Amino acid sequence: MSGALPEDLERSIVGVAEEPAVQVAPTRPPLTLGEWVHRNLFSSWFNGVLTVVTGILLAYLGFRLVQFVFVTADWSVLRANLRSYMVGRFPNDEIWRVWTVAFFLVVLVGISRGMLVPPPPTRRGLLLRALMGAAALGATLALVESFVVWLLVAVASALYAAAVVGGRLAGRRLARPILVAWLASFPLIIALLSFGDVGADRWGGLLLNLIAAIAVIALSFPLGLLLALGRRSSLPAVSWFCVGIIEVIRGVPLLTLLIFGRFVLILLLPPGLTFAQLVRAIFMFTLFSSAYVAEIVRGGLQGVPEGQYEAARALGLSTTRTMVLVALPQALRNTIPPMIGHFISVFKDTSLLAALSFSDLLFTARRASQAFEFVGDQAEALLPGAFLFWIVAFSMSRWSQRVEGRLGVGQR
Amino acid sequence: MAAAAAPTRAPLWRNVRFLRVLGQAAFVALLLVIAREAFLNLEYGVRRQNLDLSFDFLRQRAGFAIKEGIGYSPSESFFSAFLVGVMNTIRVAFVGIVLATVLGLVMGVARLSSNWLVRRIAQVYVEVVRNTPVLVQIIFWYVAVILALPGIEGALSLGELAFVSNRGTAVAWVRIEDGGPAFGLSLVAAAVVAAAVHRWRTRVNERIGPEPRQPWALGAFVLVATAGFVLTGTPVGVDAPVVGRFGYSGGLELSPEYTALLLGLVIYTGAFIAEIVRGSIQAVPRGQKEAAEALGFSPRQQLRFVVLPQAFRIALPPLNSQYLNLTKNSSLALAIGYPEIVSVSNTIINQAARATQMLLLVMGTYLLLSLTISAGMNALNRTVTRRGSA
Repeated sequence: MSGALPEDLERSIVGVAEEPAVQVAPTRPPLTLGEWVHRNLFSSWFNGVLTVVTGILLAYLGFRLVQFVFVTADWSVLRANLRSYMVGRFPNDEIWRVWTVAFFLVVLVGISRGMLVPPPPTRRGLLLRALMGAAALGATLALVESFVVWLLVAVASALYAAAVVGGRLAGRRLARPILVAWLASFPLIIALLSFGDVGADRWGGLLLNLIAAIAVIALSFPLGLLLALGRRSSLPAVSWFCVGIIEVIRGVPLLTLLIFGRFVLILLLPPGLTFAQLVRAIFMFTLFSSAYVAEIVRGGLQGVPEGQYEAARALGLSTTRTMVLVALPQALRNTIPPMIGHFISVFKDTSLLAALSFSDLLFTARRASQAFEFVGDQAEALLPGAFLFWIVAFSMSRWSQRVEGRLGVGQR
Repeated sequence: MAAAAAPTRAPLWRNVRFLRVLGQAAFVALLLVIAREAFLNLEYGVRRQNLDLSFDFLRQRAGFAIKEGIGYSPSESFFSAFLVGVMNTIRVAFVGIVLATVLGLVMGVARLSSNWLVRRIAQVYVEVVRNTPVLVQIIFWYVAVILALPGIEGALSLGELAFVSNRGTAVAWVRIEDGGPAFGLSLVAAAVVAAAVHRWRTRVNERIGPEPRQPWALGAFVLVATAGFVLTGTPVGVDAPVVGRFGYSGGLELSPEYTALLLGLVIYTGAFIAEIVRGSIQAVPRGQKEAAEALGFSPRQQLRFVVLPQAFRIALPPLNSQYLNLTKNSSLALAIGYPEIVSVSNTIINQAARATQMLLLVMGTYLLLSLTISAGMNALNRTVTRRGSA
């Protein structure tokens, strides 16, 4: 674990600690099953007892879980609300917009993923992926009644697989176009989803969470960068101002900022200038997020060796050019892992929109759990919502580890 | 090149010091203009709603009931209601921090266990919990677990010492009798004696060399404490809860909201603390352990005297930020109606409509709480580093 400490600390400050880089151990001859069991489960009498007790507990819990999912649970609440979970009250006639965006993203994610794949996945990884894919397919088949949706899901899966293969074949050659495509995708998505008569008030479910997260991430990154540079400024007035803003925002809960956006923000603006509730919420959320981005960037800038600045000065670069050409590129590369960790937090925090009665995924799931005809099915209503949040956040964190390994962060 | 006479002073518009002052003045002026504009807008908007920007409304009668909290009735002022909220936040944050630390410690150590099964369970716990929003977890515990429990008439019991139902949880608790305060003093005395004995034995051991471990200090503590217990005439008893028709009586009662919030916060934060614990132990350079081994330390001693003290020092700063996160996340109680700061303030805003003042008060309170926790952790950090470097 080379230089793991400062990064670990930085990451923990943002609230997400990632796994440290995998240590490469000297190769040993593979263990036989018996040796493996002995070494990992029954190495001492204490370990043996521990294995037996936790094993029994685990078997019981696993049994209850399987029993719940396949026998006792009544998934009709999910079947009835699946669409609201995904897109809320998005009008049916305009749903092609969502599918277009989904296809677009599937291809983009697929190509990026293919490009970043390190040496071929292990057999166990492949098996795990196949199992997960099969489970997802089975769940879709069981829950969705519409043939069209089946077809679209199948097309999306095929596109994804093709994109991954394409990305792997293209390798690094596509790096720049893909980056441009990602940058262009944010305004494109927002435009596609709000053009015509499907305004922000019709967004809901997971769609709303994703849009809010994307908007906040895209807006708070430049703002956070500015705050971080301001904090390091040699002008006391500027740096004190930035420190003040950053520390106050980090000291209060996001929820209070969102409530501020709901009740007070509108009063601070010139009379007559109003914004939709969602815009105000995203504005406050962006402020909140940029304070954290600023701290991450500051951590990255502190990691740039002093010699780099001195070398830049020796070459005659101005302060601005030193920052833009020398310090920031190195700093930003080091901030990738904590930054992605923060973006995952942002996505998770979009569930706070539910506390303000925006009809996001959590709100929809909770409302479904309160419906009269599904009394007693609260777990069935809430768990799929939790699962959707989890799968997005978990994939992002796995992906960040992959990127981290690929870029050799902390190893140079 | 014309050799112009080098000016002794740069002209004003190229004087760096002057430009810096000018730039800052312009920046401050811009901020002041924006702030003034915002304030005037605020004043205008507030006046249009027939409200004001003073904090006088806090003295008005609140008129709403709060489900839990001590020493409050609806006839008291908004400010009293707010204070109840603050107390409730502290109540959940303090207990949450303690429990999350314990859970995180157990899970963090489990992640490094030599037992494959234990290691995997801890890993699954961390990966599942850390990647699910905490609000989702709190609502899940509240709606799908606690409120789905049997009613009070069918309360699940744990050997008559604890009851769980959709009315909340009741657990047996200590009941302090007459001799309570005196017994408390005897406990303090016992701790002092134990510390003295520990110091004495350490000095003896330094002189005569290590001997088989005997629990000297613990013995001294138990001895003095028992004496105190007998002398004050059984000062504490057990107050077991009893299930009535409409609720519990006796014992320590935890409302469904409090239980759900605590569960959600503890389980969520515990996963992050587990990662901190694991990372900190792994971050201690391997050479430290090997050096201790070379000096003849037993594995237990290596852990106790070499690895853990260093890991603790590494873990403190991120631990601090997790404690702050837990405290701030307790504001999510708004979604399940546990009356802490934000919840109560939301009610007050709905009743008195002074959102600006209320939010300033709330944010100030959170900043104060954050500063308090940070100050405590920093003090701890200082002692640890000083002791380590001495």
